[in-house]
Amino acid sequence: MTGKVALLAALVCLATAGSAQAQPDPLEIINRVQDMYRGESSHGTATMEVVTEHWSREMTIESWSLGEDHSLIRILAPAKEAGTATLMADDDIWNYLPKVDRTIKLPAAMMGGSWMGSHFTNDDLIQESRLVDDYDIELTFDGERDSARVWEITLTPKFDAAVVWGRIEYTVRQADTLPASVLYYDEDGELARSMQFSEYENIGGRMMPRLMNMRPADKPDERTTMRYGEMAFDVDIDESFFSLRRLQSRR
Amino acid sequence: MSENPWPRIGWRNLGRHRKRTVLTALGLAVGYFAVVFMIGWTEGLLAEMVENATGLVSGQIEIHDDEYRPERGLYDTIGGRDGADVEGLLNWIGSDAGVVAAAPRVYAGGLVSSGESTSAGILMGIDPARERSLSRFLDDLVDGRMPEPGRNEVAVGVEMARQLEVGVGDELVVVAPGADGSMGNDLYNVAAIFRTGIVELDAAQAVMPLADLQALITLDAGRIHEIAVATADPWVADDTAVRLGSTQASRDLGLEVASWTELNPVILDFVVLTESFYYIIFVIVFGIAIFGVANTMLMSTYERRREIAVMLALGARPRAIVWTVLYEAAAMGGVALIFGLVISLPLMFWWNVAPPDLSSLYGNLSMNGALIRPVLRVEWNMAIWVWGAVVLVATALVAALYPAARAARVPPADTLSGV
Repeated sequence: MTGKVALLAALVCLATAGSAQAQPDPLEIINRVQDMYRGESSHGTATMEVVTEHWSREMTIESWSLGEDHSLIRILAPAKEAGTATLMADDDIWNYLPKVDRTIKLPAAMMGGSWMGSHFTNDDLIQESRLVDDYDIELTFDGERDSARVWEITLTPKFDAAVVWGRIEYTVRQADTLPASVLYYDEDGELARSMQFSEYENIGGRMMPRLMNMRPADKPDERTTMRYGEMAFDVDIDESFFSLRRLQSRR
Repeated sequence: MSENPWPRIGWRNLGRHRKRTVLTALGLAVGYFAVVFMIGWTEGLLAEMVENATGLVSGQIEIHDDEYRPERGLYDTIGGRDGADVEGLLNWIGSDAGVVAAAPRVYAGGLVSSGESTSAGILMGIDPARERSLSRFLDDLVDGRMPEPGRNEVAVGVEMARQLEVGVGDELVVVAPGADGSMGNDLYNVAAIFRTGIVELDAAQAVMPLADLQALITLDAGRIHEIAVATADPWVADDTAVRLGSTQASRDLGLEVASWTELNPVILDFVVLTESFYYIIFVIVFGIAIFGVANTMLMSTYERRREIAVMLALGARPRAIVWTVLYEAAAMGGVALIFGLVISLPLMFWWNVAPPDLSSLYGNLSMNGALIRPVLRVEWNMAIWVWGAVVLVATALVAALYPAARAARVPPADTLSGV
């Protein structure tokens, strides 16, 4: 009798273990994707090319981040905007404007607004909201797409989450758990914008896509392309680095 | 004796019981005043609403590039990317007979910041001199003076000033995305604080000279978003807009000329809806009066039934009796109308020319985005005065129909024999 129970228990254990291997945890995947660019702390440069119907321009930026709650982004070029910087510390966002040597605090309502005219929002750049807190995460596809095995993970907002998107679809490559694309849908289920990743390389000691290409769905000719330059992860900075004084230093 | 004695008999019957006649006529007269006043006052409120909705900030007509509305994009300037000869356009528009004033405007969305406070704002670039001849919101500044061009001066709404905790002379940072993709930003001094009474505008609008805003958002001098036009009267705006919009010049530039009835249809709907209530006012007021008059006429014919019996016995026809009573009612209506005019004319004249200010009782009121001053302002509407008179006399006549019919059926023999 006890032997039978033990055998049954063992079988149940095996079965659950087996299914855990076959069914990857989508939450774990999203966390890994989100941490990819960030690490515990990071410092790096990037160029941002913005193409709109009316103008196109390229900016070089330098950024620092620490955990989820602190980041600092400074524009290095073009000269007209050099020194302009954005600081996120906890829940506050500040912009420093070197031309007038003033700092302004962004109202919370502007989080969804464009960052420096790009197709990224303030919220994107700063990644203030951690996706796993605000969204229900579900694996919706597991198979081959464009000759690569991918997972498609769909994020739907939790009932009371104050978020902009109606749905987000991540496509993640199974081979290296790196993102291939992210599709953002509005509350009516219409595609609002899409982000494509490419040029997977070793940057600062970790594999990551060097290129991020954001396109708004309603203006197919417009895009913002972010190309990472040098990146260093787990650098030696702490919270005191992310100060208003640092924001205003033009270096 | 004249050929037709019945009108005279009807008229003289009024004098038989003068107090009663005066009281009944006064009832009708007050009814007349009530109708003329209520409709006049409603029209005053509507006129106030339309004038404020169109005259306070926006103007009665707005001229844009035909792509501009509804998105109101930064790039959809009049004449497209190349801009337009703004001065030439303003002269052309100003030469139209219906146009009183025209002013160019540039709009941009931006952030207005002071210290730790930042507000999202609508930046409005104006030509100060032209703007003041068109809109009224900068006429009575709460504080300060109009911003002058080239001096980085700005006027902000009273609510924005409160939220940002700034006063005249204080510094503001204004940030706005430029037409070239750059982040326009500069320091400005608060030159003035204005109050429109409309919370959305007082909290979000920041006004600066046109060229200063164009410089901030890197827009060429010939590029403007709007020409606002004032017409002599809001009600000629539609015709003027059609006239301006159908010209070759307007088609060549791809202009959209829209009057307030198109831009703010809610206001027009409200006016039309309210006007439909005039009938109800007529029905209620004269509906009450009709029973008072009917009662009086019934009493006066009842009193005279012996006299009527004599007339009938002497060969008067029942129809003549009906006419006497109706003539009496018509005369009553005439007297009531004179009383009504005596009451209404001076009061309405006073409230039209110098409306009493009730703001100590009510404070300002805003409705459909239009400010309404709580003044007892009435409008003259000749049609209502005439219709009121017609309905008043008709009321008296209708009220007399039943008493007249009864009088005509007085049985002469029975009545005279005292049965």
